[in-house]
Amino acid sequence: MHKDTRDRLLADRRSFIKNTALLITVQLAGQRLVLSPAQAASRNLPLNFLTGGEAAALGHLAESMVPGAAKAGVVHFVDSQLAGDPNDSLLIARYFGIEPPHGNFYRSGLMALDRAARAVRKAGFPDFSTQEARQLARALLAGEIADWHGPPSALFYQCVRSDAVDVVYGTPAGFEALGIPYMQHILPPKSWS
Amino acid sequence: MSTLEEVDVVIVGAGAAGSVYAALLAEAGKSVLVLEGGPPRKLEDLYSSQIWARRLKWCSPHAVEAGPDNIWVSGNSGRGFGGAALHHYGVWPRYHPEDMQMASKFGRGLNWPYGYDSLRPFYDRVQKEVGMSGDAAKEKWRPPGEPYPLPPVLVSNHGKVLARGFEKMGLSTAPSPMAVLSQPYNGRPACLWDGWCDAGCPIGALANPLIVYLPRATRAGAVLQANSFVTKVLTDATGKRAVGVEYQDAAGATHVQKAKLVVLCAFSIENPRILLNSVSPSHPEGVGNSSGSLGRYLMSHLSVGIYGMFPGEDMQNYLGATGGQLFNHDHFPKDSVPGVFGSRHWVIALALKPNDLLGLAMSRTDLIGEELGHFMKRAATHLGSMVGFCEDLPARENRVVLDDRKDKYGSRLARVQYRYGPDAKALMSQAAEEGVAIFKAAGATEVWTGPPGGQHIMGGCIMGSDPKASVTNADGQLHDVGNIVIGGPSVFPTASSVNPTFTAHAVAMKSARALIEKWHDIVV
Repeated sequence: MHKDTRDRLLADRRSFIKNTALLITVQLAGQRLVLSPAQAASRNLPLNFLTGGEAAALGHLAESMVPGAAKAGVVHFVDSQLAGDPNDSLLIARYFGIEPPHGNFYRSGLMALDRAARAVRKAGFPDFSTQEARQLARALLAGEIADWHGPPSALFYQCVRSDAVDVVYGTPAGFEALGIPYMQHILPPKSWS
Repeated sequence: MSTLEEVDVVIVGAGAAGSVYAALLAEAGKSVLVLEGGPPRKLEDLYSSQIWARRLKWCSPHAVEAGPDNIWVSGNSGRGFGGAALHHYGVWPRYHPEDMQMASKFGRGLNWPYGYDSLRPFYDRVQKEVGMSGDAAKEKWRPPGEPYPLPPVLVSNHGKVLARGFEKMGLSTAPSPMAVLSQPYNGRPACLWDGWCDAGCPIGALANPLIVYLPRATRAGAVLQANSFVTKVLTDATGKRAVGVEYQDAAGATHVQKAKLVVLCAFSIENPRILLNSVSPSHPEGVGNSSGSLGRYLMSHLSVGIYGMFPGEDMQNYLGATGGQLFNHDHFPKDSVPGVFGSRHWVIALALKPNDLLGLAMSRTDLIGEELGHFMKRAATHLGSMVGFCEDLPARENRVVLDDRKDKYGSRLARVQYRYGPDAKALMSQAAEEGVAIFKAAGATEVWTGPPGGQHIMGGCIMGSDPKASVTNADGQLHDVGNIVIGGPSVFPTASSVNPTFTAHAVAMKSARALIEKWHDIVV
């Protein structure tokens, strides 16, 4: 494929990308809102599974690993999947042999992460600087966190990193940012539900 | 519990093998009911997204991987109409004759109860019915068979660059034999080379059960019933005849479906699980287990991914089929390398997406932050990849047993015990070394390998001539209960190193034809 062909494919996608994203359904004040995870995040909409503290830790870890993940709505994406039927889950956790429902996996991982953070400098993980968060993330991958009491730390790292990659790069907008034509047959529906 | 009116044939599982049995048996005039544990699926459900593709695999707890090695049960399986073949990649090389006579020829592994020549007509027929693309003349390793009905799949710059590396190493490449349409065929459109195979192909360019055999089955009168999870096979008081299956519907109600013939095509984990769970006074160790072989000889392919950065090339790695463009069988002969036994082969130039297991980001899981961002930009244009598949020999201790825990249907979970053999591990080490050298020869400036992976699952209900050492006969009938048939790669006695779906189709077709011919002997 020539460069001009690729450019044309990308141009053809622009209008559709503006209107398409990973979308979730939120019930708020009796109304059913269909929003992208990013929109849900920007409006600080309520979560269905994660607590506020868990959401803050997950968002910070994901953002430190994949810049843009927080704005892309990784917390609302993961939360919406953990709140639903595991058989309909879109999380990569289902590929890693993690027993469903996956909420326990995330919850125990985030709890262990917070404990590890406090062991390092007496502060919760969301208070870590980006550099400190990345240092801890690398320790997760290497399995080098002493007294870790969560799921296998490298597996936890892989899942959260993949969730972040999904929302940042796995969407039409993410493809466009990388200069890759999406070439969809059928777009994902405008709701997770 | 309700007891439903008897049908001629109840088929468990609407995947690759189940759809072939359903089509052929219904076309032969049998009343056929297909019970699928997962949801109904239509082509229009197959969204182009690696994220949404995950719905097509198993998630509910049904199998526990007890190790020591992991064969990735969830990702290799399927759920719903189409089964695992709804998300397969369509890489369809044939088994080689020596794959099927290993014990006789090499004193290693097991023999199939028939040879390649017996299976060949069914390979030829299946490839014509599904519309395969390839270049038989360029496959110097290819076993005898009819040429492909369609010309080869697309070879983008990705394939061309990597082929250069093979050539410089004195190795060969040929267009991959693919169940993907390179041209319109039988009313189906040609592939657009968009790389969404893993998400399922809604246009039907990639052959899957929803586009080929399930429509044939329903046109012939077969009934497909979703959300019907079979928990056990039922036999009569003598234990010598099956009378049907027990299943639960979506509401949790239990039903008995009576049938003259039961065909289990629920994949290599669920088939033995169902039979092991079918305990009765006549079958205290499960149905079909008089040999003690039920669940044993489970096999998987040990795979390794090779990645390389080609800074001077626009690799066009987003184009093509997910299963690749070219392949190589130079090291397919079992004894091609001294000291190691078994086959291996390369699948070359896989279409890449940014995310998911085979995506750009997953190729370097160590990268985070801005480093990852820079890598993603470079990889989108310059990354090349291929995967080596290595044979694992059938081992009796690699098996499915029952776990103590139960699922929501009250059935004990499968417990998968697996350890790759030393030959498979040695083959993988060789493949990794060779792959790196090939990429360097092709001009890659950075080359690395991915972690070992388990791809494809075979065995567990192997067929054989000896009832004391195998579970089924050559036609897939249980040695112990002749009107229970096993379909799919469950019955393969050896794994070869090639992707099994083509062979699963051919074996199912051979079996179905035999069942039709001896119908009156079976259902008496």
